[in-house]
Amino acid sequence: MRLRYLITAVFVLALNAGLMAQDTGTEGAEMIEELEFPKITWDIPELGEEVIVDTLENGIVLFMMEDHRLPVFNISGIVRTGSMYEPEGLEGVASMTGYVMRTGGTETYEPDSLNALLEYLAASIETWIYNEQGGLSLNCLSKDVDRLLPVLADVVMNPEFRQDKIDLEKDKIKENIIRRNDNPSRIASREFDHLVYGDHYYGRILEWETVEAVTRQDMIDFHGKYFVPNNIWLGITGDFDMADIKAKLNEVFAGWQPSEIDFPEDPEVEKEYKPGVYLIDKELSQSVINFGHLGITQYNPDRYAIAVMNYILGGGSFTSRMTSVVRSDMGLAYSVGSRFETDTRDLGQFYAYCQTKTETTYKAIYNMLDQIKKIRESEVTDYELNSAKDSYINRFVFNFTDPAAIVRQLMNLEYDGMPRDFYKNYIANIQAVTKDDVLRVAKEYLHPDKMSYIIVGNTSEIADQLKEFGEVTFIELQEPIVDADM
Amino acid sequence: MTTSAKTFFVLPLLIIALFTLLNAEQLNIDVKEHVLDNGMKILVVENHDAPVFSTIVRVKVGAVDERPGQTGLSHFLEHMMFKGTKIFGTTDYEAEENLMAQIDSIGELLMDEWRKLQDPMNYPPDSTRYKELRDQIAKIQESQKEHIVKDELWETYLKHGGTMLNASTGDDGTQYYVSLPSNRLELWMLMESDRFKNMVFREFYSERDVVYEERRMRTDNSAWGKLYEQFSATAFTSSAYQHPVVGWASDIESWDHELLKEYFENYYTPNNTVAVIAGDVNPEEVFSLAEKYFGDWERGPEPPRQTTFEPEQKGERRVTVEFDANPMLLIGYHIPAAGHPDMAALDALSDILSRGRTSRLNKSIVEEQKIASSVSANSSFSRYPSLFTFSGTPLKGHTTQELEDAIYAEIEKVKAEPVTTWELQKVKNQFDAAMIKSVNSNMGMCWRLANYEAMVGDWSYINEYWQAYKNVTTEDIMRVANQYLKESNRTVATLVKPDEAGDESEGALSEKESSSY
Repeated sequence: MRLRYLITAVFVLALNAGLMAQDTGTEGAEMIEELEFPKITWDIPELGEEVIVDTLENGIVLFMMEDHRLPVFNISGIVRTGSMYEPEGLEGVASMTGYVMRTGGTETYEPDSLNALLEYLAASIETWIYNEQGGLSLNCLSKDVDRLLPVLADVVMNPEFRQDKIDLEKDKIKENIIRRNDNPSRIASREFDHLVYGDHYYGRILEWETVEAVTRQDMIDFHGKYFVPNNIWLGITGDFDMADIKAKLNEVFAGWQPSEIDFPEDPEVEKEYKPGVYLIDKELSQSVINFGHLGITQYNPDRYAIAVMNYILGGGSFTSRMTSVVRSDMGLAYSVGSRFETDTRDLGQFYAYCQTKTETTYKAIYNMLDQIKKIRESEVTDYELNSAKDSYINRFVFNFTDPAAIVRQLMNLEYDGMPRDFYKNYIANIQAVTKDDVLRVAKEYLHPDKMSYIIVGNTSEIADQLKEFGEVTFIELQEPIVDADM
Repeated sequence: MTTSAKTFFVLPLLIIALFTLLNAEQLNIDVKEHVLDNGMKILVVENHDAPVFSTIVRVKVGAVDERPGQTGLSHFLEHMMFKGTKIFGTTDYEAEENLMAQIDSIGELLMDEWRKLQDPMNYPPDSTRYKELRDQIAKIQESQKEHIVKDELWETYLKHGGTMLNASTGDDGTQYYVSLPSNRLELWMLMESDRFKNMVFREFYSERDVVYEERRMRTDNSAWGKLYEQFSATAFTSSAYQHPVVGWASDIESWDHELLKEYFENYYTPNNTVAVIAGDVNPEEVFSLAEKYFGDWERGPEPPRQTTFEPEQKGERRVTVEFDANPMLLIGYHIPAAGHPDMAALDALSDILSRGRTSRLNKSIVEEQKIASSVSANSSFSRYPSLFTFSGTPLKGHTTQELEDAIYAEIEKVKAEPVTTWELQKVKNQFDAAMIKSVNSNMGMCWRLANYEAMVGDWSYINEYWQAYKNVTTEDIMRVANQYLKESNRTVATLVKPDEAGDESEGALSEKESSSY
């Protein structure tokens, strides 16, 4: 993989009152009108400009940003792998590989001596594999870089996957499975994901059966296939010198050969709605409510209008309609709102959430749903629109306050195949959203008649009332099967 | 440390040393301090790396200041501080004032009725009048609504770019926080000072219901929340740390307007408040704006403080909590308050026991004996004497009793033999690194300083404490282990399933903190 970056003109963005929603008419708002907000400017960091991209001899790509404020050093890397590439029957192998490749030590370093070395230096080396991305990191004081770079390279290249550490990790996963029905919110979000995504890895419920089946050899194979130099990007920040670090990395990764990867197909989310009311009965005084349906991917150009729409609906915390009605007016819940994911690689979710006492479950859902219907029926006000846009625009600067976060964001754009000018155009894209757009995306992407409801709580008492929202089905929570010989 | 100037991502370039370099080894956090005439303290830490700043206003009042009947008020007050003022959140305050006076007087009758209903000597209970009064209040609230601009403070912060906007209440303090772009300093001064000077407690009864839902979520329907509540109630017999931050359910139902007002007047005074600002600001400008906006906030009397303290424990106490979840274990030993000279040694001991993979509890109990999936130790840092705690969850097939025994075995080891110098140096290195990295986060810095102010009354204790931690010896650790971690000083709480007689345990023990707005 060869990446080339052209140096583009530095884009300077002025952060000022911008649209500033017209005020609320209160005395306080008028006082704020009189304040002046001096313009502040900053660069939106870009590849090839603030973040330098380079490639090692064996193909590892470096994204570097020097930052000499503090005597610290960070590497945060991305590996193209994930649960998305797990072979059938080996569900769980990806995350276990990501974890044990660090905890299981290397040929040179027994796990204990590796841990002791790092912790004594107040440093850390970690590795992981998530659904759609693998990663590795080194955090340390800059004085220890020379000592720890070879250790990082060793962990990445030569993990030993010692059996006792595999067993330890499996025990932990097993215990997690055993305890999975202990917390009502956890039950609700797991079952909601599963309802919306089925067995796709976005919603799959991990079972002991497949975890148990994963062998040391499976992990060695999974690691060997994806942890190759041509499949790794390293984001480097902190107190270092670019030329110097490149030379050192070439040295510690010397001899590590690239190899062609035959990537399996990444299973797609099946675009199918599963409307209905799904009840989980548990002796609780409060219902945990999640309802919604499939949404969009991060590549959808409507993401800006959708973000603004959801901010007004239930995403802008107290400012939002749902929270204002259900929490503030009615006092029905502490936690209530909605989320529309706009940053997932495959279809994300729209969902509304709430926790309210058993007796007011119907009332809360009714009023949340009512807000979803209303935002599809008529335009939002100018005030709501501008307030939402101002919030996104004025807080944008917080994306660029930490070099490690900056480098990670730019790497993620590349990894996800997002346009390089995403951040550069972000504000203009938010600014362009109109009331028409908000109404249009509400109609197009919110489907009150296709909602899947998950409700955990004393639900048998209230099942009758909830019929109004769809066909009622009870989900029996299964006692997790974790015994090998059952 | 290096201060080679490189501008990489922020235009207004200024590299300011965040530390004063005392010598090659010793760093000190550099804080500018100013006290207003009314007693309010303002602290500033400059960090010009990005055009943003973070703030915390910490009022030195928390659940520990509450008396019986008042429990949960600190937290409720924190919620009410978002309900608007005389100039924010209202289009016609005078009209509202009139309506709220009506609500208050009906509210008094309502709470009288409520107290009658709770009184066992008032038989038979009759709730007709209570319901009537609640309906009357609801009606007036409905007509008040036309004057209310909902959550204007919250919305104003958000549309001006506010992030990390929230507030939280703990045992020892209540804090209001937000991060903003650096050109919003004056806006912050205006909004924040206004709510302390001109607070109006709107929507009292519906917000009380919200807090009750919060209690259901965090405590009543949470295994950990339930266990922790009963654990504290058992470990403390007279100290106010015995009651939950969110309040006992029956107290939540009994709060009235008068009670809240009195509490507010007692504790929300400038002389009981510290503001910390960290980021791209000029200290002189901060101080002069603080004079302008907070200067006319009227000084109050010294706030009432607890005078009831925990007597020495004479014998182990145990409590069991039934809940439909897998077993959990929680153990606590009484230890002194934040300013006590033994705190650094206890802190180092908890780090040696449970920080990182090489820690004793992890190596022995999780990795070797394989009894638990997680186990941790924590030395609390509190205004009044509190607890050194252990928490853990046994693996299936093991009991809380086995886990308890395994923890005691580790405690006996640190009592019998000094920890190794390697272990001690390791946690000292980690403490140093954490301090160095702490300046990287504006909000993190605000938290640290506000915390020290609220616990011991002086932020500069952060540097003293750092030094004290550096000076801890292996003998100190053995001594404090022997002095505090003994059976007669212990409380043990276990969570069990209702239908099981056995016992067992979850999760790292977090501060009794919680309860964000």
